Amino acid sequence: MTLFTKVIGAATGAALTCTAFAAQADVLFGSTQANPVEEQQEMREQVLSGFGSPVDYQSNDGGAWLTRLNAELQAGSGSIGALGALHGDFSAMNPDDLVDLTDLGLSSNSEKFNTLAKLGTDQMQYVPWMQASYIMAANKQALQYLPVGADIDALTYDQLIQWTANVQEATGEPKFGFPASPKGLKHRFFQGYLYPSYTNGVVRTFASDEAVVAWEKFRELWSHTNPGSTNFSFMQEQLLSGDAWIVFDHTSRLAQAFNDRPDDFVAFPAPAGPTGRGFMPVLAGIAIPRTAPDMDAAKALVTYLLKPETQIATLRATNFFPVIDVALPDDLPPSVKAAGAAVAKMSASADANPGLLPAGLGDKGGDFSRVYVDTFERIILAGQDIRTVLDDQKVVLDGIMKETGARCWAPDAPSEGACPVE
Amino acid sequence: MTDTVLVDAANTRKWGRYLYISSVVLLCAWVLVPIYFLMVNTLSSPETVNSFPKTLVPEFDLGSLTFFAGFAGMLTALKNSVLVAGMTMVMSILIGAPAVYALSRFEFRGKSTFRLLILLTRAFPLPLLALPLAVMFIRTGLDDTAFGLALVHTTLAVPFAVLITFSLFSGIPIELEEAAWTLGCTRLTAFTMVVLPLIMPGITASAIFAFVISWNEVFAAAVLTIENRTLTAFLLQNLDTSPLHLKFAGGFILVVPALIFIFAVRKYLFAMWGIANR
Repeated sequence: MTLFTKVIGAATGAALTCTAFAAQADVLFGSTQANPVEEQQEMREQVLSGFGSPVDYQSNDGGAWLTRLNAELQAGSGSIGALGALHGDFSAMNPDDLVDLTDLGLSSNSEKFNTLAKLGTDQMQYVPWMQASYIMAANKQALQYLPVGADIDALTYDQLIQWTANVQEATGEPKFGFPASPKGLKHRFFQGYLYPSYTNGVVRTFASDEAVVAWEKFRELWSHTNPGSTNFSFMQEQLLSGDAWIVFDHTSRLAQAFNDRPDDFVAFPAPAGPTGRGFMPVLAGIAIPRTAPDMDAAKALVTYLLKPETQIATLRATNFFPVIDVALPDDLPPSVKAAGAAVAKMSASADANPGLLPAGLGDKGGDFSRVYVDTFERIILAGQDIRTVLDDQKVVLDGIMKETGARCWAPDAPSEGACPVE
Repeated sequence: MTDTVLVDAANTRKWGRYLYISSVVLLCAWVLVPIYFLMVNTLSSPETVNSFPKTLVPEFDLGSLTFFAGFAGMLTALKNSVLVAGMTMVMSILIGAPAVYALSRFEFRGKSTFRLLILLTRAFPLPLLALPLAVMFIRTGLDDTAFGLALVHTTLAVPFAVLITFSLFSGIPIELEEAAWTLGCTRLTAFTMVVLPLIMPGITASAIFAFVISWNEVFAAAVLTIENRTLTAFLLQNLDTSPLHLKFAGGFILVVPALIFIFAVRKYLFAMWGIANR
């Protein structure tokens, strides 16, 4: 009995002391980015420590982040001062809930990003904060199996398939790794890489004959893919453990491999298909919700985050690249050097076919990605007929496009009204 | 003839004992092996964690744990977790025990409906309730307080408290109480002096449940608190995106306090089987 009462007593005692806690006046920076604990720590210690006044950096899972934000907006008062999230997160929100940031005079060096940040209005609804992309990485042990005549910096999908097949033959195990778990970013591979490379489109060409070829190729690639891929979400783990030798993923999800064992891995551009080397950017932004408790401090924080020094510190902390023109120092971490070089080669390649982030989908962004994930699951995992699946999913995709009225974005040819699925 | 029967019986007993021992070993391994692996990997360097085959002996590399020791806000979050779990425990017992007493000692209209309603609080997924709750909490000022979160966790824990203690309560004859009344006890003192000691194990069990439910709950904690995060809300949702060695270390940090708590109250729990055997 005594111990039990002690436990209860301690709990109630602690409860009383807790109520004495006063609210803090720090700016609360609620973010869906820089989620891994190490990146959070870096954000706090390296990036936000220079702001002057304390910033409470809280990185959350997207669902909890959005629920919390919506609750504050509905209640009409809140504690979150600044929001950090992906373009897709912001585009799913009502632009009126975000404060107009035009008068801060901040913008990125990319006109495309600045237009995206307006979320379809004529004001800056968020400020572009940092960018990344998806690249390929390989264990150096795999390089000896590169097909004859293949240049790792200018691979084609056929060469990639051949390479993965060679590796499988030599090691007896499928060593291609693909982030196909529920938390993995596989949909971006289809939207920004596979489709543009084979069909020169994402929406218009969704069910085209070229798309059938693309899925056939991917099915071939999948036969040399580690079947555990449906559990992989951060390919750095499988690179480090050796479960995968050749992988595709987000630059920041590969960073740890390069930082831990810089001499063991190489980063290289995504492969090219018949219609070029498709690739897409990742754009994160900062916004201020209309319920921010201290508007001036929040705006000061946004301005601070866009400073060149802060952008470089952010690059070190998160492996997301600056969105403004800065001179990069020489002593960057290995992951940043490797990823930066691969992205530069990818953009500079003769057959580059850069895509844009989906725009104008509003809160249907998730449903849009779902179409590609479902297609993947039906064709690749369930082994269904490609043509049938594409014709089924086409109806869903067309419904989303018509409902949102979203216009085509690159590499799809521009459209007058809603982007048609042809 | 009798010999074979005897031998058979002895054989059966022997095999029975083997079966018994191996079940005990299996059940212990079921619980202990994952915790042991968690500990080994927590105390290993990142290279060892990522390598294969896995080692079974910890190398006592404190790197991962040191990282968390320097992680801003860990101690505050730990304190909040203990606080919220403690309050949840106390409140769910304070609310649950009288409810059970009423259920098992009095006949009233709508008794069975009431029992069903108690269970119903678990029928709605938290992500569905979190948004309206958070809006209400912000408006009433309960937002971002340990007490507010404990209220939500209590709602989740009360059904378990009621379910666990109900059967125990019903097993205690009313005559015991009546005897106490004849000896000068009031209803309240009869309860505290006679019934309460008897149902202590049940209360401990529901206290453990309440503690663990509150300790493990992530979503409400992540939405309803913002500066006063609980440890689970603070760590758990970021762990799945963190490197493997930190996942293990973080998991270890989340598990250990709950284990310590259960160890501390275990003797009250074991007494429950004493009652059941009676």
